[in-house]
Amino acid sequence: MNLDAAFLTALLLSTLRQTTPLLFTALGGMFSERSGVVNIALEGIILFGALTAAVVVERLEAALGPGPHPWLPWVGVLAAMAVGGLVALVHGVVSIRYRADQIISGTAINLLAAGAPSLVLTYFYGNATSSKEVQNRLPLLGPEGFALSPLVYLAFLLVPLAWWVLFKTPFGLRLRAVGEHPEAADTLGVNVYRMRYIGVVVSGVLAGLAGAYLAIGFLNQFVRGMSAGMGFIALAAMIFGKWHPVGILFSTLLFGFASALAIQLQGTEILPAVLVQAFPYVVTVLVLAGFIGKSRPPASVGKPYEK
Amino acid sequence: MLTDRKRLGVLVLLGGVFTLLLWYLAPWAVPHRLFGGEGILLNPFGHHLPQGTLPQGYRDLWLYPVFYLALAWLGLTLLLPWTKAGPKGLYLAGALGLGLFLLTYLLFQGSVAEANRLAERPLRRYSLGLGSYATLAYSLYLLLLARTFSPGGLAFLVRRRGLVVPLFSLLLASLLGGVMVAVLKESPGEAGSLREALLLKLDLITYTYQLLYSPLVNPSGFLQSLLLATPLVFTGLSVALGFRGGLFNIGAPGQLILGAIAAMLVGVYLPGPRWLVLPLAILAAALAGGLWGALPGWLKARFGAHEVINTIMLNYIAASLFLFLISANEYKFFGQTLYLPFKYPGYEARSYEIRPEARIPHWTELVAPGGELSFALPLALLLGLLGYVLVRKSLGHRVLSALLLGVAGYLLGGLLPGPQVAFGPDLTSVRLNGAFLLALLALLFFHFYVFRTVGGYELRALGLAPKAAEYGGVLAGRKMVLVMFLAGALAGLAATHYVLGGGIDEYRLKQSLPYSVGFDGIAVALMGQNTPLGVGLAAWLFGILLTGGLQVNLQLGISRELVSVLQALIVLFIAAGGFLPRYFTDPLRAAEVELREEAKRKEVEA
Repeated sequence: MNLDAAFLTALLLSTLRQTTPLLFTALGGMFSERSGVVNIALEGIILFGALTAAVVVERLEAALGPGPHPWLPWVGVLAAMAVGGLVALVHGVVSIRYRADQIISGTAINLLAAGAPSLVLTYFYGNATSSKEVQNRLPLLGPEGFALSPLVYLAFLLVPLAWWVLFKTPFGLRLRAVGEHPEAADTLGVNVYRMRYIGVVVSGVLAGLAGAYLAIGFLNQFVRGMSAGMGFIALAAMIFGKWHPVGILFSTLLFGFASALAIQLQGTEILPAVLVQAFPYVVTVLVLAGFIGKSRPPASVGKPYEK
Repeated sequence: MLTDRKRLGVLVLLGGVFTLLLWYLAPWAVPHRLFGGEGILLNPFGHHLPQGTLPQGYRDLWLYPVFYLALAWLGLTLLLPWTKAGPKGLYLAGALGLGLFLLTYLLFQGSVAEANRLAERPLRRYSLGLGSYATLAYSLYLLLLARTFSPGGLAFLVRRRGLVVPLFSLLLASLLGGVMVAVLKESPGEAGSLREALLLKLDLITYTYQLLYSPLVNPSGFLQSLLLATPLVFTGLSVALGFRGGLFNIGAPGQLILGAIAAMLVGVYLPGPRWLVLPLAILAAALAGGLWGALPGWLKARFGAHEVINTIMLNYIAASLFLFLISANEYKFFGQTLYLPFKYPGYEARSYEIRPEARIPHWTELVAPGGELSFALPLALLLGLLGYVLVRKSLGHRVLSALLLGVAGYLLGGLLPGPQVAFGPDLTSVRLNGAFLLALLALLFFHFYVFRTVGGYELRALGLAPKAAEYGGVLAGRKMVLVMFLAGALAGLAATHYVLGGGIDEYRLKQSLPYSVGFDGIAVALMGQNTPLGVGLAAWLFGILLTGGLQVNLQLGISRELVSVLQALIVLFIAAGGFLPRYFTDPLRAAEVELREEAKRKEVEA
């Protein structure tokens, strides 16, 4: 096989593109789990975010008429973030206020995300599987041939930001305290419920951003099931990254590389495409089996807090 | 703090006002519905008549006496909590309301029959409307209130929380689903005023739910609901078994796929007589699903890897494997060409046909082989049950006697001559098959294993208190693998329905294999509260809704996914304990309620 420069460049860019949604989601998951709430609903929230971004932009285009509207995709991004936060808030209310099993609550939202888009799509477009294509996608930034979506840069910028918030601000300290030992935090006057709500909503906002990236950055429409397990892979990456922004950066890069490799290998004669598609999932299983024993989750993750 | 009597009064009043509102805004009866859902809506405050007049020969005079009776009943009811009669009087009021609903029903049916007797074109698609159902609902609400506010009533309700929480969640999900339908679907018909617009919307919601539950009243829909319930029983049990053992099995779709592949391999490629091949094919499905399920169990026991993410990843991997096997027969591996023998030639991704020996018979072959009604199955069931109930010895004896008597009954019933029967094409076309019986057996197995054996006791102990179970001598790691194996095997058996039983439309493994029913198993298990009876009923409920969902799509153009949204909402609400007070979800608080109620009763008696 001839590994020429073009192949490697394509692989590198593809890795960055594949990593972006994983990075957003995994960082979000980190905020949620650091506060003590497992957010397995991230997979569904990505879908809700993607649906919102695609539908909002397409509807606005239909209302505003033709012509480039450079600000339009950003409205879609904001809407996706808002909807992501709202859906996460539902998960928060059910699992914090009503002390539900967090995994079941998250699964319910994932099931909802598998069904609800069809109703919305049927209402707007008369078919249950995809939205109309949008004209105003997110623009590309960067030198010719290496141009990437601004959200790609944003995702990587979020890593140091998340690190700073989590480890260098009072807010981050409280968030971690609430996830490790809520009783102690409560004694010190930290509002446990509020911190947890914030953690969950932040995770939803970031997953919504990932969804927006998929729908109007990576593609230009919403397609049913387009998240394809990214939310779960991101959670695995978060575990592999030991609930730490820098660790998460490297683990999502690994998964992003696996997906990119799978994409780049398709159409070659090396491995059949249908098998190659399973590659990132196999990596996830292997990584979880091999390394989770050595990382330690926040002590109170998954446990409802009762005052 | 309000006294009990005042609270009761307020609750009765609130319900009453709501009922009155529905009487005013919702249609009471729909004697005829046009194509596309628009109906002739009758309401005592003004009809909606799309063609200007009532259908020929139809009289609406029965509506007004019923309405005034209902008003009188409502007035009486609102006073009751403030009189001496109190909760006891509400029982009477509730019973009266039920009578009133029955009267409404009879008068309506009578009027339709009257109109149809002479008409050239008889009225079709007629039904009562939300206004009449409001009477029924308010009566039931009164009975419930009466029970709750009589001594020990709350404890009664809390003791039945396994029923209350799922039913309440179903109700909440239905309400929310109704709102969604109202938002997403324009009501058919022109509205002249705001009241009429609401009338049409409320009718649209009612009609949607009438269609969703229509399989209950039509024979082919009924069979179809059993057909769709069959795989849900398996996947529901699969998830429920995991829950019982403290594991969350989201891997049922993948396990189902592996089961389907194994069933196909045996069913297509293993020659031999029926008595050998069919059981082997079924076993292969269970075994393959089981092994696929045991894998995440082992990963969790050995490495502590969370089963939720692993089972999900294995779902995706199974789907790839499945496509790999049946989507093409020629692949390139590092430049070399590899040939597979599994895909049937042609455009569509599907396997070769299952050999006739390995097919699970269609329900008509079981109920009436050769067109003659057979007593084999009912007799086997009856004698088996008798054997289990009558033999009062150890579990082993009971099961053995039930089995032996069941087999005897089967043979005896098979020899008895039965009358000739012929089923219409609408019934024979339903692809319900013997996998349904397998599902019933799986329910029995679950009951025996989980509640009647040492292994099941250990499993439940592990689920309730893992640490305590380990100290009690349960080998947690091994048990985990076993639980996931059994859960996977149950999910794998669901595949027999599709592949060996021809549950989709062919006796093949096809790309259209609906493996996402594995996810629906989560809803079934939660709705059924992880008990076999509950899982069976929940599976049937979802079977009904899925069948009805097709009607909703055909007649109203609302996406079938409405049903999966309802399922998801049910799961969400059950997870939150139906948003009911804490004593409905927390056993300790439930016990507190019992004690408090007991003390109150003693106080009253003293």
